[in-house]
Amino acid sequence: MIATLALIQDTFREALARKIFWGLFGLSTVMILFFLFLLNIDIVEGAMATVTLFGRTVNRVSDVDKWVRSTQAIVATFLYTWSMFLSVFASAGLTPSILEPGRIELLLSKPVSRVHILLGRYVGNVLVVACNVAYLVTAVWVILGIKTGIWSSAFLVSIATTIFVFAVLLTVVVLVGVLFESAALATMVTIALMIMSPILAQTSTMLKLLSSEWSRNVWRTFYYCVPKVFDMGRATLNLIQHDPVDVAMPIWTSAVFGALVLGTAVLVFRKRDF
Amino acid sequence: MPSDFAIETSGLTKVFRTPWKRREVRAVNGISINVARGATFGLLGPNGAGKTTFVKMLLSAVHPTSGSARIFGRNASDAEARRPIGYLPENHRFPTYLTGDGMLDLYAGLSGMPSGQRKKLIPGLLAQVGLDQWGDVRLGKYSKGMLQRVGLAQALIHSPSLLILDEPSDGVDPVGRRDIRAILSELEAKGVTIFINSHLLVEVELFCHEVAILHKGEVALAGRVKDLTAGKGYRLTATQMTDTLRSELATRAVSVNTRDGLCDFQFSNREDANQALDLLRAQHCEVEALTPTTSTLEEVFVKTVQGHTQP
Repeated sequence: MIATLALIQDTFREALARKIFWGLFGLSTVMILFFLFLLNIDIVEGAMATVTLFGRTVNRVSDVDKWVRSTQAIVATFLYTWSMFLSVFASAGLTPSILEPGRIELLLSKPVSRVHILLGRYVGNVLVVACNVAYLVTAVWVILGIKTGIWSSAFLVSIATTIFVFAVLLTVVVLVGVLFESAALATMVTIALMIMSPILAQTSTMLKLLSSEWSRNVWRTFYYCVPKVFDMGRATLNLIQHDPVDVAMPIWTSAVFGALVLGTAVLVFRKRDF
Repeated sequence: MPSDFAIETSGLTKVFRTPWKRREVRAVNGISINVARGATFGLLGPNGAGKTTFVKMLLSAVHPTSGSARIFGRNASDAEARRPIGYLPENHRFPTYLTGDGMLDLYAGLSGMPSGQRKKLIPGLLAQVGLDQWGDVRLGKYSKGMLQRVGLAQALIHSPSLLILDEPSDGVDPVGRRDIRAILSELEAKGVTIFINSHLLVEVELFCHEVAILHKGEVALAGRVKDLTAGKGYRLTATQMTDTLRSELATRAVSVNTRDGLCDFQFSNREDANQALDLLRAQHCEVEALTPTTSTLEEVFVKTVQGHTQP
């Protein structure tokens, strides 16, 4: 337990020492300040009278609850795309850095198993991003709640979904990092997976367009194998907007993908000579 | 079951293969070494002899192709076997975002030391390596010698029973080297086993009682430093002798060297040295000195390596 805490603490220290993580928190804070100071909402008898942005009235909606949910959906989408990209980019160097010659030997000389070292780093990395996501989502949720009087807990679900998808994508970062010790390559592969996800998610359309059964099977296989970044994002939006949600398949397929990739990373790390 | 040896290796071999397995490099070839508890052991060898690979196999950073390595009786691949080890790697790269305090705290934590104990020990340990004013400074600001000192501190923080040091004096000034030797001597007195991998033969000769010389992945020579460097002969230094006597002694000596009116005769054995001494005394010559001569470890090293290189 002491060694696990030391590994997690070290990941936090390294993350904080990398300015890109301060950039993450900075961007989150800018967004929070945006909601705090630039969004003015006047509510009269439970209905929204005006919504003022940058000093100008930009919208007039009678249903406060619907407006708040829409705003939360926009924030969640922002988080889900922009913040995910930044988190992957910021995390990409954290695995290769411990594999540097002169550093890894010292880590391996301690009475800690290789599995423990890699998983400690992974968990620390997830926690760093989780802190950022929780900070941003909770702050925006509180500000919107105070300004509108509506406390929609569904918005907080985006904390869990964002962290979950990041945790799955991070397994790819870790595997590529362990295999090639390259932060740039780890970022490229992970971002490629993120970009592929919305394309693969158009399964029903593509299955109609594809002519042969073989190509349709290939598409399905790819779709089920790759983490459901897009599907999870869509499910989060639906949850926030109180629309019907089918989240089971994206969760379990992504979780299996993450477990397999992380398992492979652990196997590779255990077998490697340093 | 407790072992009498801190390190035991048997037929330890490492073969590196190129990615497509077309070429094999036998970095370590069947090394069997036993290092007793409490010993001071030096591992020597030219570049590429397999020293670092051997050490990395002890730490399980490199997996052996065949053979076995045990640390205090435990299989080296077992994480628990590394608990009594303090290690200072060569060409270490400590995280520069950490301060001296933070670095010691991290590695002590990884050794399983509770936080309270770490906080108590760190200031004293930094003082011991002469860095008591540098605990709150980031490692990025440290000089090479300071990094070496803080590296030694991290190797010592959990009171190891076996200290494995890879080039411990690298980048350290002469005063610092003396300080490090003093620390190591204290540890030796406490019964800590010290295993040094170094290119600095003088340093190993000064500190280690036993050595092994590796060459091309194999043990070329091993034994006690005292035994390996002993037995070269005797040197007799005299003056005020006749040319006839000098010529006579020169026929018995291995070598003769004349300088400033003094003659140095090198004899290969005690009998020859005593006979020369009798002759000198009989002719009332002044004898300046008679000393047993030993090889330096460097001479032993060069001879061993060249002996294995030349057919």
